[in-house]
Amino acid sequence: MLITLIRREILDNLMTFRFAAAVFITLLLVIATTVVLIKDYERRLADYNTAVKTHHQQSLEKKTYSDGIFNVDRPPNPLSLFNVGLDKQLGNQVEVYHGFVPTLWDAQMHGSDNPIMNIFSSIDIVFIFEVVLSLLALIFAYDALAGERERGTLRLVLTHAVSRGYILLAKYVSAMMCLLVPLLISMLLAVMLLTTSTSFSLNADDFLRIAGIIFTSIVYLSVFYLIGMLISAMTRRTATALMLSMFVWGFLVLVYPNVILAALTPHDTPETRTASTFSQIEQLWEEFDREHKQYLKNDAVPGESPGFNMGWVGSSTRRFTKNAATLKYSYQNTFRIEKLNERSEPKVPHVQSYYQFLVPLTLNTANQTWLLRKPALEEIFVKPALVDRILLKLSPVGMYDAATQAWAGTDLFGIEDFFSAAQRYRQTVIDYFYDKKAFASRQWFAADKGAVDWSTLPQFFFQKSDVGINAKRALPDVSLLLTINVVLFVVIFLIFVKSEV
Amino acid sequence: MIWHIAKRELYDNLHSLRFALTTILLLGLMLTNAVVHIKEHPIRTQKYNASVTESLNVLRDRANNLYELAREGPGLLHKKPSALHFCAEGGEPFLSDVVGGAFLWSTSSGLKGFWRLDYPSATPNLTNIRPNITKVDWVFIICYALSLIALLFTFDSISGEREHGTLRLMLANPIPRHTVLIGKFLGALISINIPFTLAVLMNLLVISMSTAVQLDGTAWGRLGIILFIAVLYISLFLALGLLVSARVSQSAVSLVTLLLIWVTFVIFVPSTLASITGGFSSPMSRDEFRKRRDELYSERWKRYDDYLFEVFEPSKIIQFKGKHVTEEAAEQERLSEEHLMQQVRQVKFARATTQISPAAISQHLFESLAGTGFERYLQFLENTKSYAQQFRAFIIDADRGDPESLHIIGIREGMSQKPVSSEAIPKFEDTLSLSKDFNTAAIELLLLGMFFIVLLSGAYLAFVRVEV
Repeated sequence: MLITLIRREILDNLMTFRFAAAVFITLLLVIATTVVLIKDYERRLADYNTAVKTHHQQSLEKKTYSDGIFNVDRPPNPLSLFNVGLDKQLGNQVEVYHGFVPTLWDAQMHGSDNPIMNIFSSIDIVFIFEVVLSLLALIFAYDALAGERERGTLRLVLTHAVSRGYILLAKYVSAMMCLLVPLLISMLLAVMLLTTSTSFSLNADDFLRIAGIIFTSIVYLSVFYLIGMLISAMTRRTATALMLSMFVWGFLVLVYPNVILAALTPHDTPETRTASTFSQIEQLWEEFDREHKQYLKNDAVPGESPGFNMGWVGSSTRRFTKNAATLKYSYQNTFRIEKLNERSEPKVPHVQSYYQFLVPLTLNTANQTWLLRKPALEEIFVKPALVDRILLKLSPVGMYDAATQAWAGTDLFGIEDFFSAAQRYRQTVIDYFYDKKAFASRQWFAADKGAVDWSTLPQFFFQKSDVGINAKRALPDVSLLLTINVVLFVVIFLIFVKSEV
Repeated sequence: MIWHIAKRELYDNLHSLRFALTTILLLGLMLTNAVVHIKEHPIRTQKYNASVTESLNVLRDRANNLYELAREGPGLLHKKPSALHFCAEGGEPFLSDVVGGAFLWSTSSGLKGFWRLDYPSATPNLTNIRPNITKVDWVFIICYALSLIALLFTFDSISGEREHGTLRLMLANPIPRHTVLIGKFLGALISINIPFTLAVLMNLLVISMSTAVQLDGTAWGRLGIILFIAVLYISLFLALGLLVSARVSQSAVSLVTLLLIWVTFVIFVPSTLASITGGFSSPMSRDEFRKRRDELYSERWKRYDDYLFEVFEPSKIIQFKGKHVTEEAAEQERLSEEHLMQQVRQVKFARATTQISPAAISQHLFESLAGTGFERYLQFLENTKSYAQQFRAFIIDADRGDPESLHIIGIREGMSQKPVSSEAIPKFEDTLSLSKDFNTAAIELLLLGMFFIVLLSGAYLAFVRVEV
């Protein structure tokens, strides 16, 4: 019986104009967008490759250990095609230096992008589904029950020995099958376009992530279909159901996400928190400065760092970099002697012991700064952003967006993964220095007896997080969407069972 | 007779669900918009005023010495925020609101150069981790929400009557068809304008009651034009609704068609098409810009070194140094401007192609009339450019007034070191000019009007040929 019902409904839906239009428009938009996005991705990838090459070149030119400031680059995410998230918006290049813990707030941007082009909002595949498929789901659903009731066919069907649950289920299954056609075909085409482009290298994990995105899309689609069905079950006339559906759609998709953030979020950053943390950090560095000066004062050999009255040719920097807004405070002390005067040779062991004192002190202070900075950054920047996202999740659109971002790895956590990798790389560099006993070595500051050989230093490599982790991040939202599905279905069932025909 | 039909339509609509929902939705949106604006605008103005004062202080400090002033320049130049920001946000977070200066500083030769404009090339706000949202401005309310509502008001106005059979009844009377069509159009226009006017009035009431935002005469004039464009834009979508409704026989089909047209033209065309056509041209990249800058720099220094190698007369050297720094400044400024202008051209082209969508046209119109967005940004750049010329002319003029000076601009030995009165120095003030805005707006307004006429006559032709 159920099969018969489903077959009837599917045939009914397939022959309609709305079905043809749905397939046509989804395919058109998805293909157009995919082509644009693939081109965009290729450009970003080329920029990334150039940046990696230049930075590698630069790192080979560092002649002393103290010169070891490395730039690491974040590769563009191929799945940003599906949901761009924060992938294009945040910095994609960060400096790794032993005296500073890099974060998202210290990143720079490489690339040839025209920054003014950002005034056009960027569109991805998930956005198309968000807007178009939800609209189509409602268009398929609004007359599912109200229409049959109006025409009187519902009464006819119910005269047979069919349970009402079956009718609902048949309607749901068949409409979903019809809605899946545009969704799956367009996804398939998008993936096909991806695989034909040579610059995309997708592995098995990426396909699992795409499967996750498709699954989430289906669940999202089903939520909107059920919302439409609920409206259809509650109203007597199709015209009313249609109006209500359209306004509900406009509210959930267009109005709510934009209004809620504009209206509710506070615009002032917690300035007192920023100021107090920054003054604490400043104290740390003042202490550092004091100890530094103390050391220089007690020093047996006269002369200031870095020169120590030696006769040398080369370059050096000594500078504090501060930014109160992002709580950045770092000290750079690089020194490169290309040629050293013969007479200054006796002073070399002395400079060695100076750096043996200074570098661990810098490291220690940098780590302590990080201990203060990390919770402050979390509180000042991350917490409000997470609150914003929770507010957005009160609409299924927000949940869908968050879940697909998590699958694609373009959400905040996905981007932070890169910066954790950069922080780990800093640790690797420090370990490497310890390994080579670099702080006490002559090559820390002098390259006159041969430059540092960096070939044994491990290269930076950013591995995207595991699919399991993506799934774990997406799970709360996906399960919320599933719960909404179940609740909506139960409510519709209850209303439909009780309603008079 | 037209009024009779319009009145009937109006009464029909007033009792409908869509009318009630529209009223609630528009009121909610417009009030949010007003509240957000009176909360945010004072912060923006305050920030602008603070930075302008800071720039002025910097200028006053530098007035002690004409040479230093010529070298260090007038400080940062700031873009003035528009009081009509609530009408169109215009992607302002992505556009820089400040233009700085730079000067050559060569430590090896001890030569310091002449001030020049330095356009920003960095991407602003790399650390913004908050979710991206569209601001609830009038562009959003009118171009997005209200256009959808306009379609919902007219999608069944002809096909619905045909389905019910009332169209046959009406046309049985001796009424020409165009009267019916115009009557229906006017009825829908009036009924959609009732909640819209109400919402706009509430919005403006809240904004004008608050002491934080002062709107002057021109601002009200601009608002008037914006409202006129809004009504034209709504009419356009009503005409589109009538056209489709007359063409198809079922209301459901009409609605689906209209919604798909709406999604394509209102949501996708303005951004996707811009991305596509933006890809046609590739402006100078940042790396390329840096490379060319360094090339120019080293070329000029090579010439400098060559000259100093051959010539020994101090007077000639001083002349040459002056020429060196002023030409260097002009050259670098030209390059910086070219870099920016290539980017601007790309955006301009992309914007021009999006004009096939009425939503994009009216968004541009709103932006240029509200004094925000891309056109405003260009105007600001133009202002800074003419100010830079004015500033340089002042420096030369002031230097001429000093008899002890050698009148060689740009280097310490050749210029007056005397203080100048800080009142005499031209100060940068960013201005908005309505006539300039309106010139750019006129063509787009014409285009919007053409769209409307085409759609309305299309609706008429479709309706005349319709078989009842």
